[in-house]
This record gives sequence, structure tokens and C-alpha cells, in this order.
Amino acid sequence: MRYWTGAVIAFFLAIVQASSVEQFKILGVSPNLLLVFLVAWLVVRGLDDVLPMLFVAGVTFGLVGLQPPGVILLALLPIAGFGVLRELHVVHSDLILVVLLVFGASLMYEIVILGSIMATGGVLEVATGLRATVVPAAIVNVGLAPPVYFVMRFAKPAQRRGQLSF
Amino acid sequence: MTARTLAWTSFIAIAAFVLMAASRLTVLDPVENVTLNVTSPMQTGLSSLTRPVADWVNNITDAGALSDENRRLREENERLTNELARAREEAIQRQSAEDLNAVKQQFPDDVFLASNVVSRDSSNARAIIAIDSGSGDGVREGMIVVSEGRSLVGTVTKTFEDYAWITLITDPKSAVSAIVQESRSDGVVSGNYDGSLVMDFVGQGAAVKVGDFVTTSGVGGRYPSGIVIGRIADVQRTDQDLFQKVHVDHLASLSKLERVLVLTSFEPRTLEKPE
Repeated sequence: MRYWTGAVIAFFLAIVQASSVEQFKILGVSPNLLLVFLVAWLVVRGLDDVLPMLFVAGVTFGLVGLQPPGVILLALLPIAGFGVLRELHVVHSDLILVVLLVFGASLMYEIVILGSIMATGGVLEVATGLRATVVPAAIVNVGLAPPVYFVMRFAKPAQRRGQLSF
Repeated sequence: MTARTLAWTSFIAIAAFVLMAASRLTVLDPVENVTLNVTSPMQTGLSSLTRPVADWVNNITDAGALSDENRRLREENERLTNELARAREEAIQRQSAEDLNAVKQQFPDDVFLASNVVSRDSSNARAIIAIDSGSGDGVREGMIVVSEGRSLVGTVTKTFEDYAWITLITDPKSAVSAIVQESRSDGVVSGNYDGSLVMDFVGQGAAVKVGDFVTTSGVGGRYPSGIVIGRIADVQRTDQDLFQKVHVDHLASLSKLERVLVLTSFEPRTLEKPE
């Protein structure tokens, strides 16, 4: 049941990302609420919960967001790799972990998108791409991470919900 | 990592590559058309719901610039600038009977199809929009899209029955054969990841200066000649380089397009290479 719930949330979040969030421009880029949500969900609920959501969100966002769904899935896939870091318990504060993982996942996401554009005929201005999209997107997403995480904490399993782990 | 997690990760990775191949082979086109049909009312509703908030946030982040007034003034400026550019272009074209004939052949009579922008690509590196006209309305791949002020906006790169994707001129994959109106120096205007336009392949000897108009040249047959792209904002010359690097400000307000015109009367041509 929880997978169905997660899939429905991911579907609607992808629609919101494609239709609403892209209108917001901060530092010249749009925040990626979808990615921040998935990373926060990963930290709060774990990798097993987030992977089906990642699949639904990636395919939906690809279909409605004008980028090939395969590229979006590939760009979101590093989140699965970051899930392993969560299991290692290197960082004990969930909030700091979310911020770090959002930064890393955003960099990877934008680099994959940039790479796919360059590989399919886009201009080979790597420095401009990094300066104009990759780094600003990571910074903007990091700014979005704390409020999303605090909302996500309500999705923690009941036995962990009372724990404060900022 | 559990076996279940590993299985999911492998599945997503394989699905990503399968879907990329499917997109290249246009197998997903019917699915995309249905998805856009089903979700577009929701997207339009959400978009109009959040637009005031987005405008407010964007105004703050744009150092308090009043975006509505700015947009209105830009449109007015674009229209007047285009009229000026067209008048100049006509004056230059009239000087050459051959050029005039060529223009007449390329513009027998302009037929435009007005369309609404229904979606934008939300990745930060691309500049693509979707419009609510598709192959069912006569829109074909390669057709030219202009703003209401008649400045070049982009090209139709993919069509569905009810929708079409427009790759904007600022997209990193866009390249337009262009000419500087005053000096008649030609080059290629390309988009970039920061949304800027750069005109490349302008020879070192070409007399180009800030404020000059850049229009489509018609070379290559993919664009008609004489459509205004923008004005030169900056010129970089170094002795080491073979070409000058010319930065161009586009006239159309590409980030806030709500309505565009598809030039349905122009059929792009693919020139065959000489044997």
C-alpha cells in the first residue's frame, strides 16, 4: 500500500515540478523540488522506499517535462548510490545528511543532463554549463532542502518520529 | 544493500537506457501525446495558480524589477525595434533587385498559426517549450516560430497530434545562419547554457559594432532571410582568434512567452551537397 501511496505522491510531484516549480527562477535556475523531495524521502524512509518513487517520478517528469524519460531516470539514479552513504551512518544528523546528499545529487543530476545535451549535439561549453546551470542549481536546491526535510520528518516511521536529529 | 534494493536499482538503470533508446526511435511519442493530453489541464491550472507567486518571488530575486511592466515595455520595444529593423532591411533589400526577388520567392505570403505555450522544459540547461498546436493543425518539424512582435523564437523540433515542441534559439542545440544587418557580415548564432546568444564565425575583418541588428540570413534553407534575431550586445576581438565572438541580445522575451506564431507558409529546405 505504501508503495502505491509513494507512487501517487511522486506522480503529482513530477506534475507540480513540470508545471509550477519551473516558473521560479533563483540565481537563473529553477529549483528541483522533485529531487530534493526524493533525497529527503531517502533519508527519512530509506532506499527501499525511495526507489519505486524514483522510477515513477522520473518517467512521469520525463513524459510531461519535455526531456526524454530515460535521461531523467539516469540523472536521478545517483540518488540510489547516495542511499548507500546513508546506510553507512557517516553523518548522524539527518538534516546535514539531507543537505549534503541534495548538493551531491543535484550536481550529478545537472551533470548528467548537461552530458546528454553535449552528447547529442549541444555546444561544448563545459565551463559555461557548470557556471550557469550545475553549480547554481545545486546551491538553490540546498536552500530548499531544510524546509522540505522538516515536512518530510512527518513521514518518519512511528518509532523514529520522536527523535530529534538535526 | 539488500537484494531487493539491488534489483530495483538494476531495473531503473536498465529502464533508463531502454527508455532513452525508445525516445530516439520515437516509440514513446504516442505515450507522450496521451500524457500531455491528460495532464495539460492540470498543468495549466497549477501553472496559473502559482504564476503570481512565481512572479512575486522572481521580482524579489530580480532586485525588485516589475516584471509585468517590464514585459509590456519589452514587447512594445520589440515591436518598434522590429519595425525599425524591417524598414532598414527593406531599404537594404531594395538596393538589390536580385535580393528583392529572392525575398519575394521566400515569402510568397506569410501564413502564421497562433499557438499558446502550454509547457516549458524544466531542466535548467535546455530551452524548449511546448505549444498547443500539433501535426493535426498543420505544424511540421522544421517550421519557424516567431514572437508576436515577429522576432525569431525557435524551430519546431517535434510534433504530436495536438502538441509540438519548439527548440528556442537560446537552446544549446540551436544554430541559426545569421547576418549582421548593417555590415552584411555573416555567421552562426548559437544558444548556450546560460540562455545567451553568441554569433560565431564572424571574420576578424568584419565591421560589426554594438547595437547592430542581427537577422536570419537564409543560408542553408532552414530559415527564411530577414527575420530579426536580436541586437549586438558585445564584440570580443583578440589577435589570436580567427573569428570575432559576438554576443547578441535576443529581442523576444523568451523566458515569458505565452503565445507564439508558427510560420506555416515556410517550408524548410535541405540543400543537397554538390557531387
